[in-house]
Amino acid sequence: MDSAELTTTIDMAMLELAPDESDTVQRSVSQMLDYFAVMAAAPVDGVEPTTHAFSTTNRTRPDTRNERSVADELLESAPDLEDRFIAIPNVL
Amino acid sequence: MWPKTLKNAPGQGNYLEFLARRDKSVGAFLHVTGSIRQNGGAPSDSGADGGNTCLEGVPVAVKDNIAVEGMPLTCGSRILEPLVSPYSATAVERLERAGARVVGKTNLDEFGMGSSTETSALGETNNPWDVSRVAGGSSGGSAAAVAARMVPVALGSDTGGSIRQPAAFCGVYGLKPTYGTVSRHGLVAYASSLEVIGAAAESVDVLEAAYAAMSGSDVMDQSSLDHPVPPPDSGATRIGFLGGELGLSPEVAENYARFVEALGDAGYETEEIALSTLEYVVPAYYTIASAEASANLARFNGVRYGHRTDYSENPEELIRKSRTEGFGSEVKNRIVLGTYVLRSGFQDQYYLRAQKIRTLIRREIERAFAGVDLICSPVFPTQAFPHGSKEMDAFQQKVADRFTGTANLAAIPALTVPSGLAGGLPVGMQFMAPPFGEGRLFAAARTIGEIFPVEFPPGMEPPWAADRE
Repeated sequence: MDSAELTTTIDMAMLELAPDESDTVQRSVSQMLDYFAVMAAAPVDGVEPTTHAFSTTNRTRPDTRNERSVADELLESAPDLEDRFIAIPNVL
Repeated sequence: MWPKTLKNAPGQGNYLEFLARRDKSVGAFLHVTGSIRQNGGAPSDSGADGGNTCLEGVPVAVKDNIAVEGMPLTCGSRILEPLVSPYSATAVERLERAGARVVGKTNLDEFGMGSSTETSALGETNNPWDVSRVAGGSSGGSAAAVAARMVPVALGSDTGGSIRQPAAFCGVYGLKPTYGTVSRHGLVAYASSLEVIGAAAESVDVLEAAYAAMSGSDVMDQSSLDHPVPPPDSGATRIGFLGGELGLSPEVAENYARFVEALGDAGYETEEIALSTLEYVVPAYYTIASAEASANLARFNGVRYGHRTDYSENPEELIRKSRTEGFGSEVKNRIVLGTYVLRSGFQDQYYLRAQKIRTLIRREIERAFAGVDLICSPVFPTQAFPHGSKEMDAFQQKVADRFTGTANLAAIPALTVPSGLAGGLPVGMQFMAPPFGEGRLFAAARTIGEIFPVEFPPGMEPPWAADRE
């Protein structure tokens, strides 16, 4: 993976890496991609991909009210709150 | 020996003291409860579940990527260090309903990404057999806690070998169930199509009881399966053992040969088998696992929970800085790798091809099980390696997942069983069974356990006993 591809990918991954950390990631990722090259030889023509081993159809659960709400605990987990709103820096 | 350990309040205090004392040299736990949780085990509930009474009062440890209400849920990561879980995983709830008591959360490689528990940002776990060595990973804390006899059973998660490999390194049993048989609700997702909750345990009995208590479909996990409870398995008669050049250390190679010989002595018909897809297992596994990880870990952004950076000008900067500060280097490597293989233009070459290879692997495994009842292989090419090992760096650890990754890609159950000691360190071997063949795995483990009984590290043989402490 070249530096331009690396920069784009790091950006898409919502990370910002210092130069030395970026070098480490580039080495590690390139090593894995080289290793992945063996897959090119696999006889996959006409083979269906497997995404989930046993999934057949989408399963839903009944749309019923849950007896116990964890809303307050979830709000308490937020790093910064204003009343019952999660606070973040200004959007504009 | 363990049942009813924690039923009586007077025993609980000195159990927790015992736990703290024994964990000093091991570091299996990231968090130990101040008092034993009682809420899960109403007697009427455990009676109703039936058959699991051997878990009544038994202490269990839970890998810290599985939710337990009121306890931290760090995943071994700085980014989730502040998080306390508001609810429990279904697997935990079911174990508690069967009478088990959660005593703490165990250390792991950050988000389960590693084979040594060394990528944890929050603590170091040592192998109870030799504290200069790793306990394996990513469920290293869970396997170490069992080997050091702090608990008889500990929950882990297995994405590519993360229960079976540390179980082998620590000399205990380790089960990766059939995908979907244990609900993943409450397991922090890393690679959703591969991972499953299972357990490390000191005996087949307690492992089987824990699996029976945890398994079953769950409305909270749409990938959990409704399948009939299989009848008691009469066991395997034919075992195929993986042959050819396997790249094992001399100690593991010698142990493997002895183990295969012992299978014959125990009355099994054995035959050598080869899996032509073996060379594709690790590339396909890491392509899929990294891709799924990059998507699953996108949710950790410092907004709603977890670590948030001290200062940022705008929301996007907040997300970038929080993630960059919160994730460790191995996690960043895999997020970038996963993002790359999913990018348009590269997806066919990597991700889609890996999914097709997964189909080839499943088909080959199906064909293999037409001829044999179980497949036996090593778990890992080496025994527990030293902390900071240069030979077994992050890349070599990944390559070494070749024996365990197959079961995750094919969604089949697999079990690590102890196979004796070499040079004072344990070795473990693996059985794989067709889907829902857990009963067959337990039966084989009992049979071979007569020849290779579980052993415990010197000085850690006696478990806790209320009257001795």
